[in-house]
Amino acid sequence: MTAIDVKDLKVERSGKAVLHGIRFSVQVGEVFALLGGNGAGKSTTLLTLLGFLPVAAGSVSLNGISPSANVKKIRDQVAYLPEAATLYPHLNAYENLGYFLSLSKLKLSKAELDATLEKVDLQTDARSQKMETYSKGMRQKVSIALALLRDTPILLLDEPTSGLDPVAIDEFNRLVRSLAAEGRTILMVTHDVYGACQVADRIGLLRGGELVGLFGSNEGQKIDTQTVHKAFTERTGAKRAVS
Amino acid sequence: MSQIVTIAKEEWRYWLRSRLVKIGLIVFALLLILTSALTASRVSEIRHDREHQQEKAEQSFREQPDRHPHRMVHYGHYAFRAPTPLAQFDPGVDAVTGQSIFLEGHRQNSAMFAEARGNARAGGFGSLTPALIYQLFLPLLLIAIAHAAIVREREAKTLVPLMSQGVNGPALYLGKGLAILALIMGLSLPALFGSSLAITQGESALTALSLYGSYCLYLAIWGSLILTVSCLVRSRGIALGLMLLVWIFSALVVPRIAVTWASYSLPSEGKIITSMRMNEDLRKLGDGHNAADPAFAKFRSNILAQYDVDSVDELPVNFRGLVAQQSEAELTATLNKYSEKRMSRELEQSTRLDRFGMISPYVAIGTASRSLAGTDLSTHHRFLRETEDLRFNFIQDLNKVHIKKLSYADDMARNKDEEAGKRARVSSENWQILQDFRFQPDTASTRFNRAAASLLSLLIWLLVILFIGLFTSRKLQP
Ligand SMILES: Nc1ncnc2c1ncn2[C@@H]1O[C@H](COP(=O)(O)OP(=O)(O)O)[C@@H](O)[C@H]1O
Ligand SMILES: [Mg+2]
Repeated sequence: MTAIDVKDLKVERSGKAVLHGIRFSVQVGEVFALLGGNGAGKSTTLLTLLGFLPVAAGSVSLNGISPSANVKKIRDQVAYLPEAATLYPHLNAYENLGYFLSLSKLKLSKAELDATLEKVDLQTDARSQKMETYSKGMRQKVSIALALLRDTPILLLDEPTSGLDPVAIDEFNRLVRSLAAEGRTILMVTHDVYGACQVADRIGLLRGGELVGLFGSNEGQKIDTQTVHKAFTERTGAKRAVS
Repeated sequence: MSQIVTIAKEEWRYWLRSRLVKIGLIVFALLLILTSALTASRVSEIRHDREHQQEKAEQSFREQPDRHPHRMVHYGHYAFRAPTPLAQFDPGVDAVTGQSIFLEGHRQNSAMFAEARGNARAGGFGSLTPALIYQLFLPLLLIAIAHAAIVREREAKTLVPLMSQGVNGPALYLGKGLAILALIMGLSLPALFGSSLAITQGESALTALSLYGSYCLYLAIWGSLILTVSCLVRSRGIALGLMLLVWIFSALVVPRIAVTWASYSLPSEGKIITSMRMNEDLRKLGDGHNAADPAFAKFRSNILAQYDVDSVDELPVNFRGLVAQQSEAELTATLNKYSEKRMSRELEQSTRLDRFGMISPYVAIGTASRSLAGTDLSTHHRFLRETEDLRFNFIQDLNKVHIKKLSYADDMARNKDEEAGKRARVSSENWQILQDFRFQPDTASTRFNRAAASLLSLLIWLLVILFIGLFTSRKLQP
C-alpha cells in the first residue's frame, strides 16, 4: 500500500524552479531516505508534502490526500521534524513538548514524556532546564521526541541525525527501524550516505532537483554502501566537472 | 478553540518570563494607580471646594447690609463649576478653561482658574491624567510588549513546528490576539475602577461604563494593528519601527495637522481686532450710569409718553433704574452677540478637529472620552451661557428693585444731601433675589450621543483592522 506518492513534482521557490519533476513513492511501513547534497531540493520536497509550498506541476499525496485539498488532515497524520529544528529557548523540554503536543490536542503525562525522552537518550537532569542551555544535539533530541510523541502513521524527518554524536545516531537508527516495524511510514532526508544505507529500505538520490538514482528494494536486502557512495560522489563530481 | 486558548496562555508565559515585559507592566501599573489616585483625590477636593465656595458666595451676597441696589450690581457674585465625577479620569478642556467666573453688572468676565495649588501639589503629575496615559502611553507599552508576537516565531523558526502541529495562520492570530486582549483587560482595570468609583459618586452607569468600554476599544485597535503588522513583516525590527511610525503619526502628527487645518480653514480676524470692534459697538450704547446721556433721549421720551407725564420727576418709578435696566439689556445683547459668535467659532473648530478621528484613533478617543466625561467644549459653553443667564437675571432683578423701591428724588440727591443719601438705600431683604446656582452635567444620553460618532469610528477601525489581520493571517507561511 502506498503511503506517500510523489508524481512528476515540480516546485518553484522565489520564481526559480527547484524541483524538476521528481517521481517516487513510499510504501506503508517503509523507511525511505532521500539522499542528496546541499541545495539538492530535499527540504523543499518535505515542505511541499506538508503543504507549506505550492505544487507547480505534478502531484503529491499522503495516504491518498493531497495537501492542497486538506492541509489540516495531512498535518494531523504527519509528524514533521524540521531542518535545524528549534523549539522555545525560554521553556524546558517538558514545557516545550507539553505546549506543542497540546496544540495537536494531545495531553500526555510526565511519565509518557520521560519514556520518549529516554528513547532519544536526553539526560534526565537536562530535561527541566531551559532549552537555551542545550547543545545542538540535545535540542535535536527533543525535536525528535516531539515527532515521535505525535504518534502519527507518517513521519517526515529533515536531517534527523544532524548534531547527534555517533552513539546517538546508532540509537536513532534503531528507533527508526522499530517504528517501521510497527507499521509507520518514514521519509527522511539526509546527506549522510552511511546513515541512509544503514537505516533505509530504499534510497532515492536527489541532485539539482532531479531524482537521479533509486537503490534498494522492499525485499529487506541491505543496500550496498559502496555503490551508493560511488553514485553520490561520482554524479556530484560529474556535475562539478561540467559546471 | 482550545488551540487558541493554548497559544494565548503560552504567550502569557513568555511575557511573564521576560524581564523587560515584567518591568514595563509594573512601571505602567504603578503609573496608572498613582495618577488615578492623585487625579481622583484632586478632583474630589476641587469638587468639594467649589460646592463650598458657591454656597459661601451666595451667602455673602444675601447677607450684604442695606444699601443702594446699584452698589450690589457692582458688588457682583461668583459662579463655580464643580467637576463631574468622571473628570477625575479625563479632565478634558477643564485643564485649559476656567471653572469659576466673576459675575457683575455691565461686563461679561472670562472664566478663571480657581486654584493653582492643586497643580503645584501634584508636581509633575499635575498634567498627567489617567486619560492621557491611556491615550498616549499605553499604546507604546502594547507596542513594546506585543510587536514581535508573530514575527518572533518567524525569526526563531518556530513557525514551522507550530504550523506542522496543525496550527493555521488565523488560529495563531486569534491566539496571540486573545493574549493581547487579556493584557488590555488587565491594563484597563484602573479605568474600570475609576468608572465604578464615579458611579458611586452619582455618575450614570451608561456614561461611566461607556467610557471604560471606549478605552478598551481604543486599546483593542492598537492591539489588533500591532498583531497585524507582526503577521505581515519579516523582522521584528521592521515591526517595531513601523508601529512607532504609526504611533507618531496618529498621536503627534495628525493632531498637529488637525489643529493647523482647523484654524487655517476657519480664518478669523483675531482676538484684538474683535475686541476693538466689540468695544466700539459698546461705546455707541451710552453710559447706563448717566440718565442724562443723549443716547437715552429717545428712551426717555418713550417712557414719558408711556406714563403720560412731562418730566422724569413726575414718574411713579425711578428713572435712573429704568435707564440702568435698559442699558444692561442693550449691553448684554451686544455682549451676547459677540460671545455667541466666539463660541460657535470655537465649536466649529473643535468639530473640524474631531473629524480627524476618522484617520487617527487617538483623536477619536479624545473626543469620545471628553464627551462621555462631560469635560468637553460644549459643556464648558453651556456653563458660560448658564452663568450669563444667572448674571443677567440678578442684575436686572436688582435694577427692578432700583426702579420700584427707591425714590428718584432721593436717588438724585444722594450725593449732595446726607439725609437723602441715607434714604437712597433698600433693605437687605432684597438681596434674596439671587438664585442658587448648581451647574448640572449633561444627561447621560446627551453625552453618549455626543460621543457616538467617535465611538462608531473607533469600532469601524477595529473591525477593519481585524478583518485585514485575519485575512493576511490566512496566508501566513513559515
Ligand atoms: N526560502 C527560499 N527561497 C528561495 N529559494 C530557496 C529557499 N530555500 C531554498 N531555496 C533554494 O531551493 C533549492 C533547494 O533547497 P533545499 O530544498 O533547502 O535544499 P536541501 O534541503 O536539499 O539542502 C536551493 O537551490 C535553494 O537555494
Ligand atoms: Mg535541507
